[in-house]
Amino acid sequence: MLSELDLSAIYLTLKLASLTTLTLLIISPPLAWWLARSKLFFRPFIESLVALPLVLPPTVLGFYLLLSFSPDSYFGAFWIQLTGSGLAFSFAGLLIASVIYSLPFVVQPLQSAFVNLDKNYLEVASTLGFSPIKTFYKVVFPMTLPSFIIAGALGFAHTIGEFGVVLMIGGNIPGETQVLSITLFDHVETLQYEQAHLLSISLLIFSMSLLILIYGVLQKRQKRLNDA
Amino acid sequence: MPNNMLKFTLCKAGLFNFAAEINLAGVCGVFGDSGAGKTSLVRALIGLDEQFIGSVNFNNNVWQDDKHFVKTEHRQIGMVFQEPRLFPHLDALGNLTLAHNKRSLYTIETLAKLLDFENLLDKKTIALSGGQKQRIAIARAILTAPQLLIMDEPLSSLDAHSRALLLPFIKRLAKQIPILYITHSMQELFYLANNMLLINDGKIEAVGDPQKLFIDPRLSLVKHAHSGLLLNVTCLSWDETHAMLQGKVDGQAIYLAMDKPVEQEILQIKVESKDVIIATQQFPHSSLQNCFTSEVEQIEQISASHILLTLNLGKQKLLAKITAKSLQQLQLKVGQSVYSYIKAVSIIGEIT
Repeated sequence: MLSELDLSAIYLTLKLASLTTLTLLIISPPLAWWLARSKLFFRPFIESLVALPLVLPPTVLGFYLLLSFSPDSYFGAFWIQLTGSGLAFSFAGLLIASVIYSLPFVVQPLQSAFVNLDKNYLEVASTLGFSPIKTFYKVVFPMTLPSFIIAGALGFAHTIGEFGVVLMIGGNIPGETQVLSITLFDHVETLQYEQAHLLSISLLIFSMSLLILIYGVLQKRQKRLNDA
Repeated sequence: MPNNMLKFTLCKAGLFNFAAEINLAGVCGVFGDSGAGKTSLVRALIGLDEQFIGSVNFNNNVWQDDKHFVKTEHRQIGMVFQEPRLFPHLDALGNLTLAHNKRSLYTIETLAKLLDFENLLDKKTIALSGGQKQRIAIARAILTAPQLLIMDEPLSSLDAHSRALLLPFIKRLAKQIPILYITHSMQELFYLANNMLLINDGKIEAVGDPQKLFIDPRLSLVKHAHSGLLLNVTCLSWDETHAMLQGKVDGQAIYLAMDKPVEQEILQIKVESKDVIIATQQFPHSSLQNCFTSEVEQIEQISASHILLTLNLGKQKLLAKITAKSLQQLQLKVGQSVYSYIKAVSIIGEIT
């Protein structure tokens, strides 16, 4: 059976992934929209920054995050002043790191959906007198809903699989920063293969079910659109 | 008090240079060859093309000048694009509800009845035909309670049923909302418009009554008109024994051969300029059925041998192509009253 430590790691992982996904679904749409539409000269620079976590080893990202979380850095000091506690080896620090680490997985599907969105519909929306906010909620969002689902799912799944960054900045504090992937690594290191198996298969089944559910919903929607 | 005055000067480097001042009441046609810049002009007027510099003023509201640029969504223009552009994620009713403004003169139900789409409201937009979609797109634009409605060739690719429904509807609607109607169809223009902007080569060439502009020899329209003009006939009755329709053109009787009675009130006919015979006296013993009393308004030499006469029937005009020799023999002068006999007409019945 799964130990209490395992369960707490699973709970923590799900909590981290959910909060990360939620945060990403709030900050990514405007960012993706800007990246899809902006003609400013520094857009490629911002675009590259967003995509960096895709190419950098997670440990590099984790290293720089660890430095910026330190009370000696501006950001770290500011955070301590604001909240009274440090970011390194804390859940809040983990959340910030996950948001940055999974950002491209949410921004990129949205950005490509926004690029491909037929501009004609946006013109219609403005001739119907819609404000940009109304256009987003009533036209853009429903028309690109599948991309939002995929973006959310990728962000969630990617956060669950996070290892290197967590290792660098979160450490291994049970109930606070010890996530699933770290617990699994511990089991293997201490030769508890049975526990490792159990945890691995649970994670595998969970991820597979989630993906099947999402792709199933998308297929149904596609079919409905084709039939109508 | 809205005066519906539209004033604009709009330039786009090297391509377009539009300037006009026009009182929009009823339907104002925007007419010109394809590529002349009709669509570019309306996109600039709506505010969809920010590359145009200049000024736009409607109803004493500044839409654009050196310092201001009112965004499209704040201009209160209803727009019907050439393609219907219904939102694909909504059904017909969803598209209409989303656009509905409380101040709209019409409800969704009324428009559904008038434009014959009551049984289509719950349909997904992809299940609708082009004509059905366009009728719903027109309703959607009206529901936004616009102060000006702009239609960009809305009927260009529609079925006969939709055209027959929409043309009289647009004409009636224009009594409540001023309409700018882009078209390259002379039929639609003559049926709908009481005013027009003539676009040629990226410029506004002329503004005025289509009946007058089409016969102005200085304008680029003349090439459309030489072969003949269109007349609107008010239908009165149908004589079954002779299979003839009786109607009126500017109060003067006209008889048209028709196999069956027509349902519409106004029928459009085209009279070719070569099919008009001019006489200074009536000649009763002939097979000619239709004779109008008319006044010579203009005499234009179009070639060494031929003359084009513009004849005024009251409000509408007729063109007659006669030889220079006939002109001399009949000693025609501007202002003179003559009898115009019509040898043949083609009925452009599908339009209404």
